[in-house]
Amino acid sequence: MLATLVTAVVNGLRGELVRVEVDVAPGLPVCHIVGLPDAALSEARERVRGALRNSGFEYPLSRITINLAPADLRKRGAAYDVAIAIGILVASGQIRASGGPWAVLGELSLGGQVLPVAGMLPMVSTLAAQGHRRVAVPAGNAPEAHMVAGVEVVGVEGLDDVARLVAGPRGRTADAARRRPAHQVSGGAMGADDAARGRASGTLWGPGLAAADMADVRGQPMARWALEVALAGSHDLLLVGSPGAGKTLLARTVPSLLPPLDDDEAQEVAVIRSVAGLRPDPAERRVRPFRAPHHTTSYAAMVGGGPLLQPGLVTLAHRGVLFLDELAEFDRNVLDALRQPLEDGSVEIARAHGHVRYPARLQLIAAMNPCRCGWYGEQGVRCRCRLDEAARYQLRVSGPLLDRIDLRVVMARVPPEVLIEGPVGESSSIVAERIASARAVAVARNGMPNARLTAGGVMAACQLDGAAGRLLADLAASTAMSARGIHRTLRVARTIADLTGAERVGADAVSAAMALRDDGMERLAAA
Amino acid sequence: MTHSTADAAAERAAWITLASVDGLGEHLVPRLAAAFGGATQVLSAAARPDRGRVDGRIRAAAECGLRPATLEGIHAAARDPEAVHRRLRELGAWALTPWDAAYPRALRLVDPPPPVLFGVGDQVALATEPLVAVVGTRRPTPAGRAFAARVTAALAVRGVTIVSGLAMGIDGVAHATSLDLGGRTVAVIGGGLAHGWPRAHASLARAIRDGSGAIISEHPPDVMPTKGTFPRRNRIISGLSRATVVIEAPVGSGALITARHALEQGRQVFASTGRPSDPATAGCLALLRESPARPLVGVEELIIDLGLAGGSPGIVPDGAMGVGRPARAMHAGDALAVLGDVERSVATLLLHGPVSSDALISATGQPPAVVAGALTLLQLRGWVIPMGPLQVAAGPLLLPPPGDPGGRPTHLDPP
Repeated sequence: MLATLVTAVVNGLRGELVRVEVDVAPGLPVCHIVGLPDAALSEARERVRGALRNSGFEYPLSRITINLAPADLRKRGAAYDVAIAIGILVASGQIRASGGPWAVLGELSLGGQVLPVAGMLPMVSTLAAQGHRRVAVPAGNAPEAHMVAGVEVVGVEGLDDVARLVAGPRGRTADAARRRPAHQVSGGAMGADDAARGRASGTLWGPGLAAADMADVRGQPMARWALEVALAGSHDLLLVGSPGAGKTLLARTVPSLLPPLDDDEAQEVAVIRSVAGLRPDPAERRVRPFRAPHHTTSYAAMVGGGPLLQPGLVTLAHRGVLFLDELAEFDRNVLDALRQPLEDGSVEIARAHGHVRYPARLQLIAAMNPCRCGWYGEQGVRCRCRLDEAARYQLRVSGPLLDRIDLRVVMARVPPEVLIEGPVGESSSIVAERIASARAVAVARNGMPNARLTAGGVMAACQLDGAAGRLLADLAASTAMSARGIHRTLRVARTIADLTGAERVGADAVSAAMALRDDGMERLAAA
Repeated sequence: MTHSTADAAAERAAWITLASVDGLGEHLVPRLAAAFGGATQVLSAAARPDRGRVDGRIRAAAECGLRPATLEGIHAAARDPEAVHRRLRELGAWALTPWDAAYPRALRLVDPPPPVLFGVGDQVALATEPLVAVVGTRRPTPAGRAFAARVTAALAVRGVTIVSGLAMGIDGVAHATSLDLGGRTVAVIGGGLAHGWPRAHASLARAIRDGSGAIISEHPPDVMPTKGTFPRRNRIISGLSRATVVIEAPVGSGALITARHALEQGRQVFASTGRPSDPATAGCLALLRESPARPLVGVEELIIDLGLAGGSPGIVPDGAMGVGRPARAMHAGDALAVLGDVERSVATLLLHGPVSSDALISATGQPPAVVAGALTLLQLRGWVIPMGPLQVAAGPLLLPPPGDPGGRPTHLDPP
């Protein structure tokens, strides 16, 4: 007897429909899975066998053939387990599919629990778009699946729940109904769900980087202001300073300053989180991503890739902030790989078995020491690096990458008296309000944050007055500024003017913008 | 009339050729020339075929061992005596011998003087007295850098030609500040003119050559600098100068070698002081303890000790400055007067040493954007330079107005 079920697979950030056909026929008891399965999928037969038996069903001693269509699409992972199991139940006549058409998704444990899988949100979206109105998803994935409109989503705990849905009120065999599934007997066994959640925990901010409030930052008025400008205009920012200058503390305030995502952005971010297996929480759907990977992060982790062409950190930071502490300690090729996302807002991963383009419209905030020992150029502390070493340390970050970072601030150590009894600065909530309103003004005017204005767009957006134009010409001439440099200065000046509520960009905004590309470190190395 | 002008010119050319042989220095060149009856005779003897006999004469005249490479160098120079002159023309360089009037007077008093100075730029800089050397560590603290700039500025506007070594750090500050104020400067480098300076100083070297300065070396153009050539050129730095000012020298700094040469040559030496425990100035303190060097307690005092007091700073002595740059002579008082309010308060805070932007923001009480704008405008004028996390005064801000006792190295006072 043949049973056909509808499920889905993730390809890049999109879901694709997959049909699971199960044929149970007389013959020697074997089970074949055809249709480009990978290793995890081939192991499905063991999981399904265990899950069926432990949920009170029979694993038929017949010839079982499972076909995953379309055959040319490579299928990965364990998300078809439930479809296969239900297919076997229907094909072997243990239940009748009289509950109407259901799409089913999920991985099975041997005990018959339905476990969450990655990519639920795009998969359910695709099913909905293709006219499937009812979807059974793992309970752990239910919140994200509920984010899809126009589809009835039921979160299920165990295989028997799915069987009950598919069979409908009258379709279930009495035999099966009498038995209690093993996962309920054993109290739901611990862990699969908790383990998955553990995998996802702490990922919003990255390990070891607790949030901080702007009020915690003493001193550093210039860097505080630079951060405010950076976040208001979505400009990339580099903080250079000796150890303890407060670079990391300042970066930790970023989550408290970021404006919320709008609806479209929230949807994009949720899909990415879903595909990465982070299970987006609808309650946090407007929280802008903030990722702070360690400097030992590998190329594949940063850019994405691996055998599954998984999204990397640049994609997880899409529409949000990627904070790279100790920038110069990152691998050179990891850093250089950031150039494409910073330029295009996306990243293309090409491998022998396929290629995929992930969005990566991120804002880079980076911090680095001025030299290996950290004290180059600092007053009152002797730098222990050799002179050429100190100058070379900054060259570890390639010129093209540095050139794409709009804002640069050299931070000095905060004097102890300021640290101990200096005035407490504004709290994050006040600063966040200014950032949000400046950003709203910019988006209303440009349709995008100022950092993404094109060369033509920035001139129109700035409406320089005469004095500002003359000043910019003087500055450009005296610093041999390139066209790129001029546009960068204008974009930043536009943001500074937005923060003060000015409609046109004046000379004060231009001169202030110029100071936010602090070349103190280069001047020191060249002197 | 056996000694015509043409003979003198030929002898001078031969002398330069001989002096450019690697291995022949200020001792051997005159010794060989004396033994053979002139540099021309050395070269014509060396060009003869009976090499064994000539080599014997050269060795005897040298009164010391000669490396075979040096002998080979003499023969090569004799075969093509024009080579070094062609190379100098290629580089747009010149050579000065003690026969030339432009050969610096102070250097003639050094025993023995370098036989030839190869150079590019303006020879007049070498002859414009007084010359004072400003030297120090390759890696100064920001405060040391600022102090070096103030000392240099005070000297430069009084018409002093600043001599230094074109190295990173204090040397670079000295040259750059002097040029910035339209003064003259002489850089004495450790290698030949074709390889003489750190890459980071390429533009500074160009500015010295094309401005009112000179770069000189005792080595022919293609000699690579080595560990030994730097300490040796220090004797020329001190030998050119009436006095040597040492700013921030840790123990073992090359600037201390310059100071020692200066003392041996009977010139004045001033050394900056510092906190007793500060390694940045430990070498200076040792120098002050062990030698007749005098402590550099302030710019004003230095001017008096050098006998330069009397001329009012800000008023440029005749001929000492580049033509047509009267604005360069403005001092801090004039400079502050032309600035806007915030710029003025920022500049005033920078008058006595480097300050971080954050400290400027809290001291002025202005928002960061306003202070940032003021700093940009001051940098545009060239009156403030960012150095690491600090802002450092430059240009006229380095020159205290007449009668102002400013310029004391306040950062060097004990805490």
